[in-house]
Parts: sequence; C-alpha cells; structure tokens
Amino acid sequence: MKKINYFLAALLGLSFSFASAQTPKGSVLIKNATVLTVTKGTLQNTDVLVQDGIIKKVGTNLSAPSGVETVDATGKYLMPGIIDAHSHVGLDVVNEATSPITSEVQMKDVVNPTEIGIYRALAGGVTISHAMHGSANVIGGQNATLKHRWGTKNPNDIIMMDAPRTIKFALGENPTRVHGRGNGIQPRSRMGVEAVIRNGFNEAIQYQKAWADYNSASAQKGNKATSPRYNERLQTLADILDGKIIIHCHSYRADEIYMLINVARDFNITKLVFQHTNEGFKVAPEIAKYTMGASVFADWWAYKFEVYYSTAFNAAILNANGAITSINSDSAELIRHLYHEAAKTQRYGGMTDDESLAMITINPARQLGISELVGSIEEGKQGDLVIFDSHPLSVYTVPQMTFVDGIKYFDIKEDKNDQRLTVSPTEMVEDVYLRQQTERCMQDTEHLFDMAGNLFNQN
Amino acid sequence: MKRTLFRASVICMILGSWMISSSTFAQSDPTGKKRITSSFAITNATVFTEPGKAGVKSTILIQDGVIAGVGNNLSIPKEAKLIAGDSLFVYAGFIDGASNTGITKPKDPERSENFVSSDPPDEIAGITPSRSAVDQFAMDSKVEELRKGGFTVLQIVPEGGMIAGKAAIMVLGNETSSNLIMENTALAVSFKGSRGMYPGTAAGVMAKFRDVYKNTELTKINSDKYASVPGVKRPDIDDTFMGMKDVIAGSTPVMFSASSELEIRRALKLQKELGFNLILTDLENYEGVIPEMKAAGVKVLIKAEVPDDKAIKAQKEDVTEDVKAQYIRVKESFDKAIAQAGKLEAAGIQFSFTTVGVKAGDIGKSLKTMIDGGLSETGALAALTTNPAAMMGMSRELGTIEKGKMANLVLTTDTLFKEDTQIKHVIADGYLFDYETKAKKKADEAGKATTGTKVAGNWDYTTESPAGSSGGVITIKKDGNEYSGTITYDDPAGSGKATAPIKDIKLDGSSLSFAFDVNAQGMSIVVEISGTIDGNSMDGTMSIGQFGSFPFEATLIPSITAKL
Amino acid sequence: MKRLTKTFFAFLIALVPMMAIAQIDGEFIKPRTGKFLLKNATVVTITKGVLTNTSVLVADGMIMEIEASIAANGAEEIDCTGLFIYPGMIDSGTQLGLAEVSSVAETVDFSEIGNFTPNMQALTAVNPNSEAIPVTRVSGVTTVLTVPSGGLFPGTAALINLNGYTPDQMYAGFKAVVMTFPNSGRRGRYDRRSDDDIKKANEKSLKDANEIWENAIAYNSMKKTGAALEFYPEMDQLAKVISKELPLLVQVDAASDIQNALKWLEEKDVNVILSGVAEGWRVADEIAKSGYPVITGPVQELPTRESDRYDTPYTNAGKMAKAGVKVAIRTDEIENVRNLPFHAAFAAAYGLGKEEAWKAVTINPAEIFGVADKYGSVEKGKVANLIVATGDPFETRAQVMHVFIDGYRIPLSNRHIRFYQEFLERSPGLESK
Repeated sequence: MKKINYFLAALLGLSFSFASAQTPKGSVLIKNATVLTVTKGTLQNTDVLVQDGIIKKVGTNLSAPSGVETVDATGKYLMPGIIDAHSHVGLDVVNEATSPITSEVQMKDVVNPTEIGIYRALAGGVTISHAMHGSANVIGGQNATLKHRWGTKNPNDIIMMDAPRTIKFALGENPTRVHGRGNGIQPRSRMGVEAVIRNGFNEAIQYQKAWADYNSASAQKGNKATSPRYNERLQTLADILDGKIIIHCHSYRADEIYMLINVARDFNITKLVFQHTNEGFKVAPEIAKYTMGASVFADWWAYKFEVYYSTAFNAAILNANGAITSINSDSAELIRHLYHEAAKTQRYGGMTDDESLAMITINPARQLGISELVGSIEEGKQGDLVIFDSHPLSVYTVPQMTFVDGIKYFDIKEDKNDQRLTVSPTEMVEDVYLRQQTERCMQDTEHLFDMAGNLFNQN
Repeated sequence: MKRTLFRASVICMILGSWMISSSTFAQSDPTGKKRITSSFAITNATVFTEPGKAGVKSTILIQDGVIAGVGNNLSIPKEAKLIAGDSLFVYAGFIDGASNTGITKPKDPERSENFVSSDPPDEIAGITPSRSAVDQFAMDSKVEELRKGGFTVLQIVPEGGMIAGKAAIMVLGNETSSNLIMENTALAVSFKGSRGMYPGTAAGVMAKFRDVYKNTELTKINSDKYASVPGVKRPDIDDTFMGMKDVIAGSTPVMFSASSELEIRRALKLQKELGFNLILTDLENYEGVIPEMKAAGVKVLIKAEVPDDKAIKAQKEDVTEDVKAQYIRVKESFDKAIAQAGKLEAAGIQFSFTTVGVKAGDIGKSLKTMIDGGLSETGALAALTTNPAAMMGMSRELGTIEKGKMANLVLTTDTLFKEDTQIKHVIADGYLFDYETKAKKKADEAGKATTGTKVAGNWDYTTESPAGSSGGVITIKKDGNEYSGTITYDDPAGSGKATAPIKDIKLDGSSLSFAFDVNAQGMSIVVEISGTIDGNSMDGTMSIGQFGSFPFEATLIPSITAKL
Repeated sequence: MKRLTKTFFAFLIALVPMMAIAQIDGEFIKPRTGKFLLKNATVVTITKGVLTNTSVLVADGMIMEIEASIAANGAEEIDCTGLFIYPGMIDSGTQLGLAEVSSVAETVDFSEIGNFTPNMQALTAVNPNSEAIPVTRVSGVTTVLTVPSGGLFPGTAALINLNGYTPDQMYAGFKAVVMTFPNSGRRGRYDRRSDDDIKKANEKSLKDANEIWENAIAYNSMKKTGAALEFYPEMDQLAKVISKELPLLVQVDAASDIQNALKWLEEKDVNVILSGVAEGWRVADEIAKSGYPVITGPVQELPTRESDRYDTPYTNAGKMAKAGVKVAIRTDEIENVRNLPFHAAFAAAYGLGKEEAWKAVTINPAEIFGVADKYGSVEKGKVANLIVATGDPFETRAQVMHVFIDGYRIPLSNRHIRFYQEFLERSPGLESK
C-alpha cells in the first residue's frame, strides 16, 4: 500500500523531476584558446574542461577523460555564454494587455521552445535569455529565464529552473497609451503610473494582513472566521515586497526612473533593475546607489518621443558611475549580435574589453540573480561557453560554437540549413516576411490601437 | 453513490419520456409520420458486436429502444417490422465524444454602464460554468448530417468563452423526444481569451482559471463552515461557484480544448497543479506528448480530421535543391500527422473522436486515411464506440451490440472502412432512419443545379481576429435579380453597433461576396466578405484592407417571413 | 593669436569624443570651410590602393593634393600621424531627414497619400536640422540617399551630403524615381492575410503598374511631339524615367518578386537600380545577367524565411557580388544611419570581404548614382568628403577623429556627445536624503 502511494506521489511530481532529470548535460574539453574569463582576466593558450555541465578545470595542459570530446581552439577566443537580459523570443504570448496590473500572469506558462529565434540567438552566442512579459502594463507578468537548449519540444526543458523569480514593470508611453489613451483606464499620464504602483503595493499589504488575520483566527478553537478571497495578483505584489521577486522595469525618462527609485525606497524594495532606461544616464548616481543597475540598448533612440533625448554613451556613463550595467536586445534581430552591441560601448565611451564583455555576461547574470551559476568562466560555474574565430569585440568576428551546460548546440561547420523543429503539413509555399517587426515589447496589443491612425502608415 | 442515484434518475427520465411520448401521441396522426411499431428485427445480417470480433451472421431484435436480443434462433414477435439484413453489415452506433453540431452560440450579454474591461463580470468575460449545452442545442440539418454518417450519440459541448459551460449526452433519436441522456457530463474549458477585456490571451486565461478554481475551493470551505457553525459570515455564492462546485469535487471532469502539443502541455500543467479530472479534446498535433498523456492517465479526444493533402499534391518535379528539401520536410510532416492516431493506439491510450470544427461528410475519408497511416480498424471502431462509451461512464448502455444495451446501430452496404461502403440505415434510440445509397453517378454530381441557394434573410455572423471575436447581423433582400442589404458591426469609435449598407454583392453558385465601408475618424476602409453558403450556414473570410483576413461564419436566423 | 585659437579649437574638437573636459561656456563650434592639410596619414584611397605616410590637402571644398609631402601655405595643419584617411561613406538607402520621431506622425514625412505619386520630392522635405544628422556624420557617413516609401510610385529620392542649412546646400547631384515593385511577401508577423488574398493584391498591383506605365510611355511620346496635354504632374515626373533623364529605383525583396521585376523591366528601356533585394542571393545569377546594380540591406536583419539559415542576410551581399553583381550597401534607417559601417563589416565578415565591403559604401554607390567624378574615393579633384580615424572605421573600437564634408570641417559634436559631457560626472551628484 505504502509503495503504491509513493509511486503515485512520484508520478504527480513527475513533470518537475522529469525536466531536471532529463535536461541534458555534457562534457567537453576546449583546448588552447584565448580564454576571456571576464572576472579573472584574460588567459592565453588555456584549456577549459567541462564535465556533466559544470566547468571543472581552467588551466593548461589538461587532458580529456575517456569519452570526452576535445575541441581544438588554437587561435580562437573563448568567452562565457552571452546573456540577454531583455528578450521576448520563445514566447507564444507577450502581452496580457487588458489590465494595468497583471502580476498573476506567468510567461513560464506560454514558453515555446520551437521558435526559430532561439536557434538564431544560439548562433550569435547567446545561451541565456530573459523572456519577458511585454511593456503594455504598468505591472506586467512574471518573466522566465530561459537556457537555449535547442531541439526540444518540451517548454520545461528550456526554463532555467534554478533562476530566481522576476517580474516586468513598465513606465511611460507604453502603458499610458495602452490603458489611458487606448482604453480609458488609469494610467493615462506619468502621474497615474505612480498611483497605480503605489495603490497596488498598498492593496497587497492589506491583502497580506487580511490573510494573516484569518490564519491566526482560524487556528483558534470554535472560531467563526472565513477566509478572504484568494488573489494571486496581490499575492505576487506581496512577494515583491517580501524581496522574493526581482523587478525589471521598462522605463525611459529620467523623472520616471527617479520616481520608481523613490517608490522602491518607500516600500523597502532593493531588488530593482531598470530596463532600456534611455535617460538613465541623467540619474546614474541614483541608479548606482539604490538599485541593481540598468540593462540598456547600445544605440537605439528617437523612435518614440521618450527616447528622443538619449545618448549612445548611456552604458558608459552608467558604468562609470558604478551602476551594474548590461546591454540587451529586446529584439529577435539584435539578440543575434549582442557581442557587437556590447562592442559599441568601446566606440561610445571607450570601455575596456573586460568592461564591455561584462555587460553581456556577468552583469546581466547579476541582474537576473544567477551570477553564482553563470556569467563568467570560473571553475564551478555552468558550462555555457562560446568560441569565436577572432576577438568577440571585433566587428569582423564570427561565432563558431556555442555550448550550453557543456553540450554543443551550435557549430558553424555542422550547421544545417533548415533548423525548424516543426513544419506545417499543409505548407504550399513558404511565407516570406519582409522587414520583420523586431521590437516585440508591444506584441498582442495591436487591437488596442487607433485603427484609422495605422491605416496609412505603410511602415 | 451519487452515480447510481443519477443513473436512477436518468432511467426514470427515459422511462418517463417514453410514457409521456406514448400518451402524447394519441391514436390518430394526420401527418402520417408516426411509426407503426417500435419493434424491429434485422434478420440474417453480418453483425459486428464489438471491435475486434469478426462479423457473424445473426438477427437483432429491438424493442422500445432497447436491444432485446442478438443471435440466431430468436423468437421474433408479430409486432416486429422486419428488415432484411442479408446484404447488410451492422455495427454499434457511433458516439461523438465532443460535438458542437446543432449548437448555437448564445448572444453576448449586454455590458453595463460601469463596465470596466480590466475587471469584467464573469459572465461577460466568458466564465460561465453554469451554462448547459442543452439550452443551446437544436436538432437541425447539420445534426442530421452527423446521424447520416453513423453517429447515434453525441456529447454536446456548449459554445462560449474560456469556461463555456457543461456538456450533455444526447441520443439522435426522434425529434419529438428531448433525447437527453445525461446532463453536466463535463466542463468545457479552452484557452480562448475574450475580446478587449481581461483575460485576453492564453497566459491570462491560465492565471484566471487558477483564480476561479482556487476561489471555488475556498468558497466551498467557507460554505461548509457557514452550514455548520452559527454566526459565520455568509459566503458570496454566485453562478460561477455553482457551476464549478462539482468540478472541484472531482465528479465532473474538465474537458480542455487543446489542439497543439504546447496547449496539451499547458492543460496537463494546470491539471497537475489543481488536481481536476482531465479530458483533452480537439487534439490535432499530439505525437510528442503521447508519453506525458499516458503518464497522466488523461482521457483523450482527437479531431476526426486529417490535414489537407493539397500541398503534397501540388509538389512539382522539376525544382531546385532548396525547394526539394522543403518538399521533403512537408511530406514528412504530413506522413507523421496521419500516423498519429496509430501511435496513440500503440501507446495503449483509448481515445475517442471529436467532430468540433469538422465537416461531417469528410469524417469517413479522414478515418480511412488514419487507417492508412497505421491505425488498426479495430482501433478506429473502438474510438467510435466502446472508448467514448467508457469515457462517459456508459459502457453498460452504449458501445456494443448486446442484449440490454440501447438500440443504436449502423447498417452499411459493406464492411465499415471499405472504399465504397455506404450507410443504408441508422437506428438511434430505437428509431429507424433510412438513407439513399446510390451507385457512383458522376453525371449526377456534375448536373447538380445551384438554384435555391438561400441568400436573402437575416444572417447572424461572427468573425475571429487576433483582437478577439466580433459579430453582428447582415440583412439581405432580394429585388428581382439584384440583392441589397445592410450589415451591423462593432463600432470602432465607441461601444455598440454601427450599421452600413453592403455593396458589390455577387452570388456565384453558392459563393457569395460583398463589401462595406467602415468609417472611423474621418477615414474609411473597405471590408470585403466572401464565403460559401451551405444550407443555413455560410463559411468564409473577412478581409480588412491591409490588416489581413479573418475567418468568418454566419448562420441564417430562422424567420417565418424570409423569402427566396 | 588667431592661429593659436584655431589650433586650440582643433585640439578640443579632437578630444571631444574621447573624454569629458571642461566646456567652453558660450562657445559654439560651427562647421568651417577653408584650407586644411592632413599630414602624414595612411590614405585608403579605395580606387588607387593604400598610401602610407601621405598627406592630403583640402581647399575650396575639394581634394587638391595627395602627396607624400605637401607645403602648408597657410593651410590649417592637422597632424594625422598614426591615423587613417578614408573617403566619406555613402548610405544608399535611408529615410534620414524625412522623419524625426517615428511614433509621432506629425514628424514623419517620407510617405504621402496615393498610389501614384512619383512627383513627391524627398529633397525638399528633408529637414537639414534633424537631430539625426549630426548624430550620423560623426561615424563617418557623409552622404546618404534619402528615399520616400508608400505606394506603387511613392516619390523621387535624393542624394544628400550631411552638411548644409538648406536642402539645396545638401544636394549631392543625384535623384531617382522610386518604384515599390508589387510584392508577394508578408509585411511582418501581423500580416495574416490568406495566401489567396496576398496573391490577389499582388496581381492587382501589377495590373495598376502596367496601366500606369503604358500611359506614361504614351504621355512621354506625345509630350516629345509638343502635344498640348492637360496638367498631369505625376505623369510628367514618370516621363523623366522613360526619357532616361532619371533612373528608376526599384524596391523589391522576395525572390519571386525579383524574378517578376526582372521580367517586367526587360523590354523597358530605362535605367534601373534594384534596391532592398533581401533574397537576391536566391536569384543572384539572374540579377547578374540583367546587369542592374543592386543596393542591399540592412545587413543586420532577420532572415526572410523561417527555414533560412541564420546568416542569410549577412551573406546576401557577398553571394551577389560573387555572381558578378555590383553591390552597394544601405541601412534603410532613419536615426541609426551611423551603423552603416557595421552593416558593411558584417557583410565583409560573412563572405563579401573587407575590400569589396568598403567599395560597397564608397565607389560603388558613387558609380551607381553617376557621381563618381565627385565622390566615392580619395582622389585628387574629387569633393572633400573624408574620414580620419584611429583605425578601420568599420571596427567599433576605432574612433573617428575628423570628418570633412564638402570641404567643411565638421564639429564632432551632437546631442549624444553633449549628454556624455554633461552627465559623465553630474554636478550635483548623488544627494542623499
């Protein structure tokens, strides 16, 4: 009897252990590369041994244990797998744009591991991406940190199970356009954005109290207490207040960034990362002191009014002021050459090699709360590695191989033409997409826009 | 315990309705439609009593909707109408595991003045677990089409939003009976969001479903406390709670619509989290999740449809390497798709069919294709009979030809899955339905006239776009040889409906097309609608300038005064 | 005194992109013309090889001399030891100056109402004071083709130098009538039209194009005979294409559309330039056979098909060049035209090669636009559009130290740089409460 129950229990918990048990881990010895550790300097003619998905040894004259493949990287460069802190690749739904607060929505529910964008990111050396809810809502859904283990159809296989929880916030033009101007619901102005956030947190505090009161009352004998409604939305906000979730806030204008920093201080929130934050440089000292830094574009500007007063020197200024700075893509196109986007900080601000590389490795890892696991080439970290044929920060570099957990998922020499995992059985002529829309922060909100306004917009 | 009581009440209902019907039908019937006897004997037919058993020449005796005997040497009562079965093959009547044939979508409820789209009332947001499919069902020509295809029992599912309501089991018997076998047999759930309000996407739907489920559980606890402890605050009981109550108790399963692998996984995820009984339906692409479905022990309904082979047929010979590589991948995908049912069978999963979204006339062909792809004939027959009966918990009454079971039979001209087999008779609930079987007359097909395609009248339409569904009414009048009319649509400028005249109306055989202008903020766009009319329904597409094309469906609103 | 001030300015200008220094309050540095001697650089001429330890004399807006040693004779001397001189880059397809903030419709001027509007002049709508212009030219892009878009014949594109206070001062001597060839592709993820609808729209577009063209030919011949025709400005403009006064810039991307376009253009006796050509690699031989030059890009773009290799847009230019097509590169950008060198570098790394990539942004577009006598290389007698950089301007690490456009020395400043100067070390800094 006991045995059967145990089996049933295991069966019920099966999906979770299935994933972690089945997530493939590999071993490989990469020899004689110029190893850019990012945190411990650059090592010439050095070997890196990965075993069962973990970097076991970084040194010289290493030999491969039996059954472990050797990759000769003479003349090549090895760097940690690139981490994109802002992406929407691999998600079937990006925006649940119907309410200004949708903290109960989970991107983990709608991950699509067969999206070709994942493979294309791998071919650009990106091993981890932060798949985020879109920027339509002031408080959006919870994000998913993905490891690009290409080839599986099971979404659980690519979700990084040991990554901390994160949630999307958005300030400025996007939520005020979607809710205020598009739907007649607060917020319509930046004033409203602050009100929505403060109201949300205060309601969450009341919710926590109601449940705490009920829990203690219902423990008493002969009590007459009935429970309050269950509300995952408010519970999630309460979790943010309890420090269990890292806020990643899409923001642009200096004043709104400053606003959220003050709100965070009022509610004792320290786990806050600003995303895009084109005017972050104007409040760089504040971002450095009170937050977990900023994740910015290399050079996007002027496509909306709130980014008109931007500078490509943003990352350099933030970095110089001591803020943890990373470079992100927010685009299925840019994610394929994040190494090049990071290199732009050398043109705009004269960053050193290690500073630029940190912006796509250890810094985003810190902002996602996974810096103990990935983000640099150090013994004990996960085997996420990329080999380039020349220095990654050179504009002419070409990524050669990408490893996730020690398994090679991209090899330019063995790269087959058609990487699609699924093909429609009724496909007559394949769709040709011209000038794809690459910024997906506003996906799933098209119906809320003024139809007439979009009519003659040919682009 | 609950089940036996239920059963008892159901049987009472059936008996009751029989008694009512026999007293309603007084002796005289001036229409001449009344049958002369409720007893039948099908003599000397090749009878396949259950899937896997070889056909045996036997006689079947039916009395009052029940199979009174199967075999040889039966004593046939004098009242029995004889049907010579010498050239006929008999199978148990088919059971449709989930059907929306005969279902009319209910009207969207009116939105109140203070409607807030971020927090809409459940009823408007598509959360209506108390609704029953029975209220939306009517035995119409489409249902008759299904019966013509051999289906005798349907589990009808209601139309609606993410939680549409409760399914029910109907027998396709005589139109004078309610034909209801059992109500509240499953809760129809899907990932459909609602237009312009929360939840709008699959992610929102999943979060909302968890919310509804967990709060139902809490309300139940609070209700129980209210019932047993004095002085407790009265819990707020609403329609949603009433509808969800038996689902959280486990007595009503959740029938989740999930066509793709990812959707199936999402449904399984919710099931694992919340613990409800799960039936998966509308499966189209599922090969990769067969192990997961097996492990979870869920019941499965696959679409009685295979992918269109137009693309495969259109593949040309003389093409570049690139295109050839594409062709190979598409063909592979196609071959895999038709082999899926066979794989389900091989994995030991006892699946059934659903006809939602499937044209009744294509079902036979689709099944034959699945058999070509690896499904055994026994497996196909089981999916049509014993499997759905078991899924519904009605193996005692349905699924095989045995004494004591309901008189649901299909009589064909040859063995079931042969190329030119036709269905000659269907017996449902003990009522006999005859069908014309014709020899392949190609000339007949070609000469089919297109007169009488009913166009004029009021059409209730819906259209699906990424923004959600939208609808209105099209009124068409015939003026000699010309048509004119108007259309109502959701006013983009605000709430409510706007009306516009329709223009460029063209009728070509059964293909209808027309256009109308939508004006918004001083600009005007042309919307084009085109579709095929089949009886009372129209199927086609709505194209809006450069925005794209969206599926369009319309049903003719029955009206006494509509004229051709 | 004057000379001291001048060199002091020169020193400051040179330092501006590198680090923050004290601002000179009230002083504004303008573009200046005059005589400049760029001393002792490595000159990458593009057409005549690489010359080391060479000097270049700029005066009257032109490249006067290129020699190992040149006397200053009152020219402002700029020491370019260790630096590299390249011709200013040309972006063969942008909307620079025609839009300021894309999401604000009032600032977007590259698209007009109507399907047949070849008479819309991009040149006159260019905003010479667009913030994007100073942002662009500090990267070394000195000249761009700015192009209208929209209907079948959306307007007339113009080649402009990124210096000047009126469009006429910016005009670089080339115009082309744009044609958006009827396309059969989807306009993005959200274009959910059925295959049939797309086909129908495509056929209708082609029909319109044929009708218009026939009329244009008739109009042109009638006009030549001096017939008295009613005022028809659109036809007037298209007639210039037929009479070969202006070339036709054909925007086309999908492979089947390119083939259709080549067929359509075959018997038409006009000067053709193909633009976009994202799937050009699929039909590279056919394009080469036609002899039409190709402007392609953006290189940093997603593949057009899901089944495409990940590097398809990177390798496109190289494959076409290998087949014998003359290739120029464009960004098709509004505010980030400054990334042209990076697009070209990606094309170089993925098959085009550095030399051809440099040609694709200098001499090739100059030849395609018929202005090779003035632009496209560092040669005596050409207009002084020059970049002086610490290395290969394609490399992100390289810094552009000096830019000359039309012989004007361009101040290397723009709002982005000014923000860097102001905010690198903000004052007051962090004020703790």
